Order: sequence, then structure tokens, then C-alpha cells
Amino acid sequence: MFSESLRDFRRLGFRHVLLQVLNFASVIASGLMMWKGLGLITNTESPIVVVLSGSMEPAFYRGDLLFLTNPASEQYKTGDITIYRTGDRNGPDIPIVHRVIETHDMPLCAPESFAFTKPTRRQPKLPAQCTDKVPRQLMLTKGDNNYADDLELYRGLDWLERKHIVGKVKGFLPYIGYVTIAMNDFPQLKYALLGGLGLLALIQRE
Amino acid sequence: MHTLLSRVNNASAFMSSCMMTLLAAIAISSFFLGSQPTGEVGISPVKVFAAKGRRHYSGKQDAAFVNFNVTADLAPLFHWNTKQLFVSLEAEYTNMHGVQNTVVIWDKIIRRKQDAQLHIEGGKNKYAFREVSTSFKDVSPASYALKYNLMPYVGVLQYGEIARTSDDVPFPEAQAKVAS
Repeated sequence: MFSESLRDFRRLGFRHVLLQVLNFASVIASGLMMWKGLGLITNTESPIVVVLSGSMEPAFYRGDLLFLTNPASEQYKTGDITIYRTGDRNGPDIPIVHRVIETHDMPLCAPESFAFTKPTRRQPKLPAQCTDKVPRQLMLTKGDNNYADDLELYRGLDWLERKHIVGKVKGFLPYIGYVTIAMNDFPQLKYALLGGLGLLALIQRE
Repeated sequence: MHTLLSRVNNASAFMSSCMMTLLAAIAISSFFLGSQPTGEVGISPVKVFAAKGRRHYSGKQDAAFVNFNVTADLAPLFHWNTKQLFVSLEAEYTNMHGVQNTVVIWDKIIRRKQDAQLHIEGGKNKYAFREVSTSFKDVSPASYALKYNLMPYVGVLQYGEIARTSDDVPFPEAQAKVAS
């Protein structure tokens, strides 16, 4: 079988190989375009994510696929399931899928001291001019399967804010994402799959 | 032309497109199935105590304690594409600084139609109910709402409100914890 395909390969020549490489590149490019286009429409950096942990069981299991949106004009609400990242100050920056259980919508242009980490009995002064379009929002999240809220996961932050949130879950598709988890757990599988696909693309006749 | 590989390729492509169509049909069907559930929420007078603050802040912060009665029939929300319901009781109020707050004080996951009848009397809040400016003084009366989130086997997550208190419930003056 292999000697036959090798002979085919020699017969078809250099131009054919180039054409196949071009085809392969266009497939990858169109995939990337669809991904980025979807990201533009939904306003998130990753419109589709795979669930990696069991903290939202029994709703979402490892390997389920989630579709996200992040409309810029909409505030988050309690009950929304968000994907957030709090930055990698000490540890890996893993996106977390948890539900919002508290929202506190600040008045427009509320100053930084409005974060209420300290008590304020006096009415804080609002700045004379401000450029905020959307009010600041403080949030607290919790995994449905966890006993405590996420304060410990915020790495020193008191509240979650919009800038930490990648998007909220709109749609759900079970199991499909398990392929990527399997590929991460067994890297050999990933290389075998990629190598196989590349080889097939090169030696296929049409 | 008709190699084993191409046959396998065609068959699996056809199978996966059939699967996708079926899943899409199921996802769309759940927009037409299910109807508005009915329920009632009653709140007993709320108690407020001066309590220990949240992390990073060592001073006192008021904590509210809510007793509630909930009756609801959520069976209309169960259809073939209902994986589970997430039901939550939320308090909505505006504090003296004009901050709009929504706080989930109790929630429950319902996975079967047999468990869809809720009869809760004298329920207590499951999560700490604190005010961000540390005190419930001069805070507007709160409205309490029972809401649901329908999570499907496949498709779009749906949200809705089941019931709401007819009158807003005021927060009383904070009392110091009585040693018993």
C-alpha cells in the first residue's frame, strides 16, 4: 500500500505537492477566519469553550462544549453562567465556568473608592467629568457544585468585574469537547492525528 | 473512486450531518415546549445583625437573615430537553449610595419532574446576605423574586421569573448579637 502511494507521489510531481500544501493552508486559514469572525460577532476572545472541571455538575461535565456571548451593551445578571479569568499573578491562568450569585451595579462614573472594601457612611463625591459609558459592576460567583463562593479563587480581588469575564454561556452541546481533553491528556494522540492528517493531505490524489 | 477509505469518509460525513440536524431540531423544539410555571413567595420580617465582615475587612458588617415561604409548581418547565432547573430566590434593592444590588440568598437544583413541586416553609437564606456599604441603614425596602434557569440536554439556556413579592420588604434597624 505504501509503496503504491509512494509511486503515485513520484508520478504526480512537485506541483501536485505544492497544490496540496496550498489546500491544507486554505483549510487552516478558513477555520481561523470562522473562529475569529465568530469572536467578533459574539464579542468574546473565545466564543466556544470546553468545560475542564466538575464544579458546575450536574449541569456541565468535563468535555461539554459551551457557546459564549459577551454583548458590550448588556449588564450581567444573577443566574448568568460566566467564564472568567483573574490573571496569573500566582499560578496558572485557567478560565473558570461559574454562576453569578451577586451583582452590585455602581452608579455611572462612581470613583474607585466606591468599591466598598472599607465602610463609607458619607456620600462619596462623583468626579466632575467622566467617560464611562457602562456602569461599573461588582460580581460574586459560585460553582453550583461547590459549597462556598469563589472569593478564594479571585487571588486577592474582592469582587469580579467585567474586565475579568470572557463571556456568558448561551448554548450547550454535550461530550463533543472531550476530544480536546483527550488530546491534552495524551499528547501522542495529538501528534498521531496531526501527522496522519498531514500525510493524507499530501498523498491524496484529488 | 470507490475505495474503502472514501466509503468510510462518506458514511461518517452523512452520519455526522444527520446527527447535527437532529440536535438542532431538538434544540429549536425547546423554544415551543414548556410553559410559564406558577408560584408564590412570602417573606417573614427580615432580621439584621451586626456581624463579622467579609474578607480583607476586619470591622463589622451587617448581615440580614431572611425567613421565607415558597410554593411553586415547576412541572410545566419539564419536557424532553430539560436536563435540570436551577431555581434561585433573589433579593433586589438599592442602597443609599444608589448602588443597585441583586443577591441570591437561596437556590436549588431540580433534576426530575417528580421533584418539581416546591413547598418550603420557614426556609432560611443559604448564603450570607450582606450589604456592600457595610450597613443596611437607610437602604430601600427589598423586592424578592423566585427565578429559574432551564438547562437543556442540548441547546440554549433559558431564564425566567416564577414569582415576586407583591410588597417590598423593609430592612429593620441592626441589632447587636444577643449572647444566649
